[in-house]
Amino acid sequence: MTSLDFSVVLQAWPYLWSGLLFSLALTAVAFVVGLVLGTCLALVQHFEVPVLGKLVRGYVALMRSIPLILVLFWFFFLVPIVLGHLGGSGRPVPIGATWTAFITFGLFEAAYYSEIIRVGLRAVNRGQFEACQALALSTFDTYRSVILPQVLRVASPIILSQTIILFQDTSLVYVLSLTDLLGAASKLAQLNGRLVEMYLVIAVVYLAISSAASQCVASLRKRYAIAGLRR
Amino acid sequence: MLEFAEGNRASIVTVENLVKRFGHFTALNDVNLTVAVGEKIVLCGPSGSGKSTLIRCINHIEKHDAGRIVVDGIELSDRMTDVNGIRREVGMVFQSFNLFPHLSVVENCMLAPMKVRGLSRTDAHERAIGLLRKVRIHDQANKYPGQLSGGQQQRVAIARALCMQPKIMLFDEPTSALDPEMVKEVLDTIVELAKDGMTMVCVTHEMGFAREIADRVVFMDRGSIVEEADPETFFRAPRTERARDFLGQIIH
Repeated sequence: MTSLDFSVVLQAWPYLWSGLLFSLALTAVAFVVGLVLGTCLALVQHFEVPVLGKLVRGYVALMRSIPLILVLFWFFFLVPIVLGHLGGSGRPVPIGATWTAFITFGLFEAAYYSEIIRVGLRAVNRGQFEACQALALSTFDTYRSVILPQVLRVASPIILSQTIILFQDTSLVYVLSLTDLLGAASKLAQLNGRLVEMYLVIAVVYLAISSAASQCVASLRKRYAIAGLRR
Repeated sequence: MLEFAEGNRASIVTVENLVKRFGHFTALNDVNLTVAVGEKIVLCGPSGSGKSTLIRCINHIEKHDAGRIVVDGIELSDRMTDVNGIRREVGMVFQSFNLFPHLSVVENCMLAPMKVRGLSRTDAHERAIGLLRKVRIHDQANKYPGQLSGGQQQRVAIARALCMQPKIMLFDEPTSALDPEMVKEVLDTIVELAKDGMTMVCVTHEMGFAREIADRVVFMDRGSIVEEADPETFFRAPRTERARDFLGQIIH
């Protein structure tokens, strides 16, 4: 086996760094969009809103049944066609790979986060709701100040675990020819032939970030066990 | 705290022919009760007698199926649009405290006055500290419920309800979930509240406490009020056999 030469990695670091930033940006946006939308989806189901509740249930089931890579393809190819029909021109409206990635990841993660939050809502002690009723708090204030904060705190380890998976899944933008960390490494490897070194290094980067986040998951679990947030 | 006009006590809660069912089970069967301003009523009776259900109907946490409930001049009904208007004036303390675990003690007490009564953060804080001082727990103001004992948590729950300055306080077995050594501190707090003139309806098994503060003891069994009397009469010479049986079982 030829000796490994990591100097190419050092030279390529700026390009790898921009790829990593893209991965992190995509994770961050998908996290925020997914969590906000996911909370709305969970609440619609929780309140059993007529018609909309069923639609949301179907959407969440669909997104959780289909591989992300397929959803990315669908979105990339189908949405321009749909937009074209809606716009009346009949010709596909290109939305580009970057927009596709950000929107699709947000919509996809929303389904996963919404399940976590929906189950969390069901797990809240009924006494909390009754205390809010007794204090004459409006439904909005009940959920905003009492219920959702508890749900998010208790569910934070699971939400963070899901986000670690999301971070790893961002590598799938490879199929849209976008340059995230994996894409950057891949392109460089094709240029300088140093596949082993390239992929080894980014594997270490993924490992480092995921491990650090997992440590946070563990400490969040411990923290919310001690603070007495049990039922 | 409340004006008390001798011989001219307006009623703050009127319950007429109240019926409440859970599926096929009738929890309350034609219950009639009036609570005058400043009156302290103790509801007692065996498990399943409907005492908790009755007080939970008073602030509409349970919706009654038939009959009338009028609280502070407003009738509670299924079609009422502003149930929170009533709930503002009715404070409730639960058996399992139901404090908000993610908020500190003082924040627990500040939330409703700020959101419902529109108090500023400063005013709400001042009121909260004042009431926490009254229940003798202000030194724990920045702790979280999970760090407090049961007795301390229940006293915070009392302060939290009082922060809304309600006209009537409902207590649903406030000491039943407490270890015995903590029961006294909570009962003492409620006795002090009673002495200040607060109108209250208290569901409890603590008969010594009932003797001390009640103007009237209401004994319920199987969904109906069986006997009503002042404490001395009720404890010394209960008229009905069911009341006698009940007292025989619990006073030992």
